[in-house]
Amino acid sequence: MAWFTDRHFFLLAVIAYGLSSTYSVFLWRKGFRKDDRANYFLILTAFGLHTTAMVERGFSISACPVHNLFEATLFIAWTIAAAYLVVGLFHRLRFLGVFASHLLFFMGVFALMPALDPPRAATPDFSGTLISLHAALILLGIGAFGLSAVAALMFLTEEHDLKVHKLRAVFSLLPPIQRLEWVMNRLLVCGVFLFTAGLAISPFLIREKYGVWFKNDPLLDYSIFIWLFYFGLLISRWKFGQSGRRFAWSTAASFFFVMLTFWGFLLLSQVHHP
Amino acid sequence: MNVVVIGLSHHTSPVELRERFAFAESKIPAALAQLRESGVATEGVILSTCNRVEIYAATALAPAKAFSELKEFLARACGAALAPAPEAIYTLAEPQSLRHLFKVACGLDSMVLGETEILGQLKDAYTVAHSHKHTGARLNKAFQRAFHVAKHVRTHTQIQRGSVSTASVAVELAEKIFSSLADRTVLVMGSGEMSEKVARGLVSRGVKKIVVAGRSLERAELLAEEFGGRAVRFEDWAGEFRNIDIAISSTSAPGYILDRAKLEPLMKLRKHRPLLLIDIAVPRDIDPAVNFLENVYLYNIDDLHAIADDYLKQRKEEIRVCEGIIDEKVNQLRNAERGMRIESTPQGETRHA
Repeated sequence: MAWFTDRHFFLLAVIAYGLSSTYSVFLWRKGFRKDDRANYFLILTAFGLHTTAMVERGFSISACPVHNLFEATLFIAWTIAAAYLVVGLFHRLRFLGVFASHLLFFMGVFALMPALDPPRAATPDFSGTLISLHAALILLGIGAFGLSAVAALMFLTEEHDLKVHKLRAVFSLLPPIQRLEWVMNRLLVCGVFLFTAGLAISPFLIREKYGVWFKNDPLLDYSIFIWLFYFGLLISRWKFGQSGRRFAWSTAASFFFVMLTFWGFLLLSQVHHP
Repeated sequence: MNVVVIGLSHHTSPVELRERFAFAESKIPAALAQLRESGVATEGVILSTCNRVEIYAATALAPAKAFSELKEFLARACGAALAPAPEAIYTLAEPQSLRHLFKVACGLDSMVLGETEILGQLKDAYTVAHSHKHTGARLNKAFQRAFHVAKHVRTHTQIQRGSVSTASVAVELAEKIFSSLADRTVLVMGSGEMSEKVARGLVSRGVKKIVVAGRSLERAELLAEEFGGRAVRFEDWAGEFRNIDIAISSTSAPGYILDRAKLEPLMKLRKHRPLLLIDIAVPRDIDPAVNFLENVYLYNIDDLHAIADDYLKQRKEEIRVCEGIIDEKVNQLRNAERGMRIESTPQGETRHA
């Protein structure tokens, strides 16, 4: 079975997350009246394959598998899936899988993109304290944006139901929209804070490598744009009272945009792929 | 020893008949003592509520004999003639008696399907009998199991989910929008039984600030006083919109008193905080178009009725699931008791109490 690598196991896990994501669309349409065990078991199956992939990778490199972006994404997605599986033991919270499955599927597809998992070099991509901290903070920041987008999707679903499908809204297990908006906002603040801290380390890394404080690089420019965008989103809320549906749409769409474009800019980056 | 039930309920008799057979709470221990002294039953529990009067008894007599003696006892104890009531009184022997007990505990036999008040009343009836030592192994086990089944059914089915009254539905909707009702302000426009009920429901869930706007300031003040709120003149209701979170409208105005053009500037003043509008007036007080505004959630009387009806429908759909659980639990109880009888010694003494 040497031909069946950790990447293959992870591919199977992503397919299972994809099935759960597709199934979730139907659950979404039905509302959230009851918890759904089928979806929970689909995510559990995917989680099993996901864990196997990580264990395989760990054994093959004889180290904790968080050396490059592929492995780091795997690790974050695994943590999200594990957290959901624990929370999903409570039947009233099992519906959260409908939202988690989409996030896990997107992260899985993102991780499988080429060039995120280059052949192993003598030293890991994230070696050194500063670079590890930089990568961890940026990834955690994006993770917070992702969770904020999930809260935004929940908000939009509930808000739509409260206006249009009134019966479904009352029967749904989703929390009150005011609480969802609060969670969405806090996660966004948290994400901007982490992303800012991660980005603030970049000049030191560039100086270490190139002897200058700033180097024009597509991923760096893109990261500054993302930072500005999210910061602007928060300002629009604090200063101009943007709230409700528009704020939720902006939050969800921003994360979708990041997921779609981050990989492309990473490929173009010279700093990250010398 | 057979567990039997005799009684009358809202299914079989009108209130005029039920009230004649009702037991005053203070007289139940004495009635149970009489029941046991008469030799009809060795154990007994009397459940007497506004919707039912039932005697649960463990008896060594054959069911037919036990029923006729229990009917006589019921008539004697209540000083009522049985003559007008023979078809109103139902009698059940095992396993139907246990099944009935479980159904009552789960609220399946109640007037409001799935209500939970009956479980408390049943627990109280059992506690009275138990504390006066009128229960034994059979009824203790049956009642304990009934309480357990009620909990199981409540957890695993939707029978008790949701509100079947329109006022409670309005409160439930508010809880879907606001994280907490404690710091919300409610405006009641116009007075009416329904708006009072909704306001009362909101107060019971923690709302502390109520503003009443009525055409008659005196009446508005009376209502505000009841809720610990304040009254304003009806013409001033728009001025209150800046601070309120929920508005209940039930005026007798012939047309809309609130439309999109009026509400849009008010929403800006409120900095787009969510606003729940409950329009229970007929003809309606609020233009349905306001529901298209962001952060505005409007429900009229038909919406509330539809949700309450759907809850009831959902509860009815759950009956079959609940009955399945009850049948299974009755069988388990009977099998366990049968097992205990098999384990009894040749002298007829059982090992278990």
